[in-house]
Amino acid sequence: MIQLTNVNKYFGPLHVLRDVNLTVKSGEKLVVIGPSGSGKSTLIRCMNLLEKPTSGSVIVDGVNITEPGAKVAQVRQSIGMVFQQFNLYPHKTVLENVTMAPILIQGIAPGAAEESGMVYLKRVGLDHKAKAYPSQLSGGQMQRVAIARALNMKPKIMLFDEPTSALDPEMIQEVLDVMVGLASEGITMVVVTHEMGFAREVSDRVIFMDEGQIMEEADPEHFFTNPTNERTKLFLSRILRA
Amino acid sequence: MKRILSSVLVGVLSLGLLAGCGGSQSASVGIKSDDPVIKKIQARGVLNAGVKVDVPKFGFRDIKTEKIDGFEVDLVRALAKEILGKNDDKAIHLEGVTSKTRGALLDDGSIDIVAATFTINDQRKTQWNFSDPYYVDNITFLVRKDSGFKSMKDLNGKKIGVSQTTTTRKAIETEALKQNIAVDFLELPGFPEVKAALDAKRVDAFSVDGSILLGYLDNNTMLLPDKFGPQEYGIATNLHNTALAKVVNDVINRMLKNGEMDTLLKKWGLK
Amino acid sequence: MNLFAGQQWQALFEARALFAKGLGQTVVTSALALLLSLVIGAVIGALGTAPWRIARAVNRTYVDLVQNLPLVTLVAILFFGLPHLGVNVPVFGIGVLCLGVYHGAYIAEVIRAGIQSIHRGQLEAAFSQGFTYVKAMRHIILPQAFQVILPPLTNQAVSLIKNSAVLNMIGAGEMMNVADSWAGQNSYYGPTYLLIWALFFALCFPLAQWARRLEQRAIRARGQEVQAR
Repeated sequence: MIQLTNVNKYFGPLHVLRDVNLTVKSGEKLVVIGPSGSGKSTLIRCMNLLEKPTSGSVIVDGVNITEPGAKVAQVRQSIGMVFQQFNLYPHKTVLENVTMAPILIQGIAPGAAEESGMVYLKRVGLDHKAKAYPSQLSGGQMQRVAIARALNMKPKIMLFDEPTSALDPEMIQEVLDVMVGLASEGITMVVVTHEMGFAREVSDRVIFMDEGQIMEEADPEHFFTNPTNERTKLFLSRILRA
Repeated sequence: MKRILSSVLVGVLSLGLLAGCGGSQSASVGIKSDDPVIKKIQARGVLNAGVKVDVPKFGFRDIKTEKIDGFEVDLVRALAKEILGKNDDKAIHLEGVTSKTRGALLDDGSIDIVAATFTINDQRKTQWNFSDPYYVDNITFLVRKDSGFKSMKDLNGKKIGVSQTTTTRKAIETEALKQNIAVDFLELPGFPEVKAALDAKRVDAFSVDGSILLGYLDNNTMLLPDKFGPQEYGIATNLHNTALAKVVNDVINRMLKNGEMDTLLKKWGLK
Repeated sequence: MNLFAGQQWQALFEARALFAKGLGQTVVTSALALLLSLVIGAVIGALGTAPWRIARAVNRTYVDLVQNLPLVTLVAILFFGLPHLGVNVPVFGIGVLCLGVYHGAYIAEVIRAGIQSIHRGQLEAAFSQGFTYVKAMRHIILPQAFQVILPPLTNQAVSLIKNSAVLNMIGAGEMMNVADSWAGQNSYYGPTYLLIWALFFALCFPLAQWARRLEQRAIRARGQEVQAR
């Protein structure tokens, strides 16, 4: 479903992604962990081309989006993204946030978009807030709306860039619950996170990134109980202690 | 002999002492007056006068020497002689004024008199004192040579540039009625602006007193032969300074009677 | 000369038709110039945020050129200079043009800053959903920028109205011109300029108050957002 081949990314002199090769299978739940500055955010943002690789190719659902002339906007319609900072549209209500893109981009009739929008809002437990504005919601509520917004585009892939890192601790669980529920469906998910409990529970595969490279990848069982790489061991010991 | 000499010495010294104790600081003798305004000028030892600096022959600053000279400057000197007893450069302070600033500067006391092509009219007489007229000028037009205008009649339907605070517009309107023509006006803040407008073809003619226009004449412009709306110039003083006004008027009238004025006019080629 | 002599106020009252005309001229000139400056500002301002370097260069050039020129100078250049190039714009047109071009530069900056003040995350969220740059600007960025832009924009409008007084120097017949011309004839400067001050105040103060209210509303809205995070 997603294929990164020899991807390199430079920010000025900074070599953020070093020759990364990664394949994500359709329906796979992939979790990416690593220290800050490891390039994991950049990695996930290359998947919908919010970051453009300096070299290398990214193929999503059969389309090479790094090719010049590629119809990136079109491919993005089948990729949903949830951001650390939520990025809800503050000048629109919750329901409008959820239905804007389907109506304006996919050309779906407003009635149909609202209907499916309400279904997703109900699923994340916020249908009663449909007419509210983002400024009236808590962080956890906003993130759940963000998930519903992404889902209403009926994407094949969902990307989560540290979705709970900006939340107060008491709100993290409500968002993780939604994500766990989502994982039980066939959608492809790539999640960058520090939530190890979630990673163990939901993922099919975990990869550890450090200094722009994938240091280790394994299924959750082996990854957490028996990591082979030294740096992985170090990172896990630090993060699991906390 | 020694006794006569010493008495004469004592006499001279005491006279000198008396003169020194006469109240006035200056060694010269101006008109005697109890009026506080005149006394203030005498105490100062300098007559502050507003004059033009851009009207050749009346009040004009020479670019090279930076000195202001002209017929009206000479009038100022004559008045200084009367009030202060001297008329050299140290006795007068010449302040360059425009048609806009001359009234205001009289009102706030910055200057004592104005000798700056100031036309006398009834409206203005309610705001300042004017001496009897010392000169009569007429209004005329400055036009571009290439516009082909020969007289005022050619200005029918054209745009005339005038300066704010001048009496020109009213005079033109009166004359236009007489000549059966209709004209349009553009009123700008000052003479340089109107001249620039003429050069830029924003107006077809620049109109004000002929003497002032002489200061703006150049190779591309010419004066029309028409002369109308006689403008009488007078020396102006603050409305409250009646004693000063009387002194000024007396001097002007004396000069008109005894031929001094004529001499000055001839000196400056105005007669 | 008593600045407040009853006779002068009387004369001023009798000349009210003249001043009404001047007031009307100020209003019309300002309104048209404001319209022009909004159009120029929107175009130049949007160019300043575009992803293409040439567009941004156009923005920088226009803004730098105009913002470093005094309005008086601009008026003089266009009023006296254009005819020498064979272009004859009537006095009224020069007034509208100068004010529009001048304030267009400031409004361009207001609009550019407003657009850029919108968090980059908004654009990224829009892109991630498949919005094109143009669609994102239209539906997501510009509507939000508008709220931010409105208060400083209103301030520019007030500034423009006050600057219209400069047009006295070309005899444009607006309030200041009428005042100078009338007071120039009779020297009733005191009452005349007090009246002009009052008229400008009457025009500008309501606008400035409205700008202040808009700013408070914008601050409250942003404050709520920050809290919720």
